Amino acid sequence: MNVPVTPLRPKATLSALDAQRLLDALPSAAAVFGPEGEIAAANLRAEQLLAAPVAAVIGHAPDGAFRLFRERAERIGTAEHARFVQPFGSLWYLVESFPLTVGKQTLRAVMATDITDMKSAEFEIRESEARLEEATRIAQLGTYKLYWDTGKMHWSPQVYAIHGMPPGGIVTLERYRDMIHPDDRELYDRTQQNQIDGKPVRGVEFRIIRKDGAVRWLRKDARVLFDSDGEPYATFGTCQDITEAKQHEQELKSLLRRNTILYEALDASPIGVGVVTTDGESPEFFYVNAEFERLTGHNTSSLSERGIETLTPEGQLGAGWARVVQTLRASVSGAFELTCLRRDGGQFLAQIEIAPVRDHPGRDATVFVLNLRDITVDRQRAESLLQSQKMEALGQLSGGVAHEINNLLQPMLALSDLGRDIADKDPAKVRKYFEVIASSGRKARDVVRQVLTFARRDAPQLAPYPIADLVGDALHLLHSGLPPGIHLNQTLDCGDARAVVNPTQVSQVVLNLVTNAADAMDGEGEVMVTLGEIELDQPTAAPLTLTAGRWIRLAVSDKGCGMDPYTLSRIFEPFFTTKLAGRGTGLGLSVVYSIVAGWGGALKVDSEVDKGTTAMVYIPVATDG
Amino acid sequence: MAHILLVEDSPEVSMTVREILATAGHTLEEAPSGKEALKLLAGGKFDLIVTDIWMPGMDGIALLKEIRGAGNAIPVVVISGGAPNAPLTYTAPLAATFGANVVIYKPFEKAELLKAVDTVLSD
Repeated sequence: MNVPVTPLRPKATLSALDAQRLLDALPSAAAVFGPEGEIAAANLRAEQLLAAPVAAVIGHAPDGAFRLFRERAERIGTAEHARFVQPFGSLWYLVESFPLTVGKQTLRAVMATDITDMKSAEFEIRESEARLEEATRIAQLGTYKLYWDTGKMHWSPQVYAIHGMPPGGIVTLERYRDMIHPDDRELYDRTQQNQIDGKPVRGVEFRIIRKDGAVRWLRKDARVLFDSDGEPYATFGTCQDITEAKQHEQELKSLLRRNTILYEALDASPIGVGVVTTDGESPEFFYVNAEFERLTGHNTSSLSERGIETLTPEGQLGAGWARVVQTLRASVSGAFELTCLRRDGGQFLAQIEIAPVRDHPGRDATVFVLNLRDITVDRQRAESLLQSQKMEALGQLSGGVAHEINNLLQPMLALSDLGRDIADKDPAKVRKYFEVIASSGRKARDVVRQVLTFARRDAPQLAPYPIADLVGDALHLLHSGLPPGIHLNQTLDCGDARAVVNPTQVSQVVLNLVTNAADAMDGEGEVMVTLGEIELDQPTAAPLTLTAGRWIRLAVSDKGCGMDPYTLSRIFEPFFTTKLAGRGTGLGLSVVYSIVAGWGGALKVDSEVDKGTTAMVYIPVATDG
Repeated sequence: MAHILLVEDSPEVSMTVREILATAGHTLEEAPSGKEALKLLAGGKFDLIVTDIWMPGMDGIALLKEIRGAGNAIPVVVISGGAPNAPLTYTAPLAATFGANVVIYKPFEKAELLKAVDTVLSD
């Protein structure tokens, strides 16, 4: 098959073969098109793009890449030199096309160079630039350049965005200074001076006020640029909007301040405060305040090893301290009076209150607040208060006691007198006298013992006693000390039921209540004392802070002057009294209240003006065994 | 010699008073409370009453009120167990107010009681 090769130059001396060799030597794929779009010539490199041997395509219009290249070149202009980049398949080509006049024919040469490698490098650069742009946008970071000779600033788009300005506006140094927050202008000026002095700027933070009024925090870093002669000519810097970070910082600062204040407040508290966590196996101290440290001598770290046990005196874990641990386990509140061990080995009587910190409602708390007070002195004061009330009560008893003793001294004195006179005449009678004298002496001894027991200053021990006997004895001791116009009507109706009490305290309670009743009636009238076992149901027991079940109730009623609700509301206060000066310390009912509370019972007083008053004491029944 | 009503709840004191008054030749009837005493008074004739104050049931003061209230002027000696200076001791002033002739305090001696009885009887 002949290959018709048209010489490139009419006067050239190249043979067709040479022309083909020349085409083949080109570094690009090349093809020459005839006026109908048919291929007039092509080189070897074009074969790949033509997808056929050169010989097979001559005289035919090509498909594929070359057809695309020629059409695009012709769209640009048939008479022009066209140069463009054209993708094809997965490759990129630089296409150059120019007209060729051969004889009378105008042909078109198309050359395609594979620039895929160059292209992908360009892509990478563009992508990297885009990434950088995105990063600066996210970081709200822009760059700027300040030329010293003109005072003009060149900003990146991000800097404009930060300043709330449309891109491209010209900003001079002077106009820029007006944007600075007045409070930060001095700092800004100083920074500018540093730059002029050739010092770098690192992390300078200042505020600007944008046109829309928004205050933004900026951070600037900059360095001075020097020309080839070593002269400074510009400043290059970054500018970052750190307003959000600043806000977080402020929030953090105020949170820290709040924390500091809370800790200081806790340390200033006159109550020992500890925070206990129960995440682990045994309760641990998470925090203790200054008063807690002062009371116990322990700090959080010295409490960490053994937790609650650190405060438990040797061998007392089984006592009240176990209840503390149980309370924590049960995730409930509780109050305890316990002996607490100090770090130096000393002990003190502590009042401990525990309350769960409920972080998730409905779920067991794992954090508790524990209040600690040293009540040693309070307890001593309360004990001396109780003692002084006992002494007062003893004073009230003295009339009765004197009567009792005088009645017993009477036979001792008179019978010994009579007996002396008849010692010889009637020895049998004298023997009888002696018997009476001796029995009177014994009775007097018992009365004295009773009084001494009552006055004794020691911690009341609680034990089961037949309550009717105790109340009966107390009434007997006090009845003759009452004004003659007072009649005691007693109904002690609970057989030999036993109550967990202290006998001296029972006397004190009975004495106080009966004396109050007698006083309320001005020494004239009937005091009803009833004792019985009752069954309390839940609605009745709850307001008395008692549990439902069997209780012994002692009621002392009068039909005296009664009390108005205001007086009634204060009767349990120590030293509150409506009695005339010298007729009572006002401790009576507060003492009864504390005694009964000590038994685990309750005291309730009902009263109505001019109708009378009933005081009811609920006493725990001793359980069998 | 006089017929005397003794009102006293304490058996020891009753015995003592009985023995003292017997040595002086007086005769005696006894009541443990004011109520019993009023019954005896209604049924018999007495020259003198010796009474305690503090007694269960009707006490000595109430008894005095009854007697004097009924216009009975029988001499009454009160034997009081309260010490004269003890708190809540209303006995002496009260007894006097309600018409006791003499008040003496326990423990008294034989001579003291006999003197009081003689004084009241001879008035």
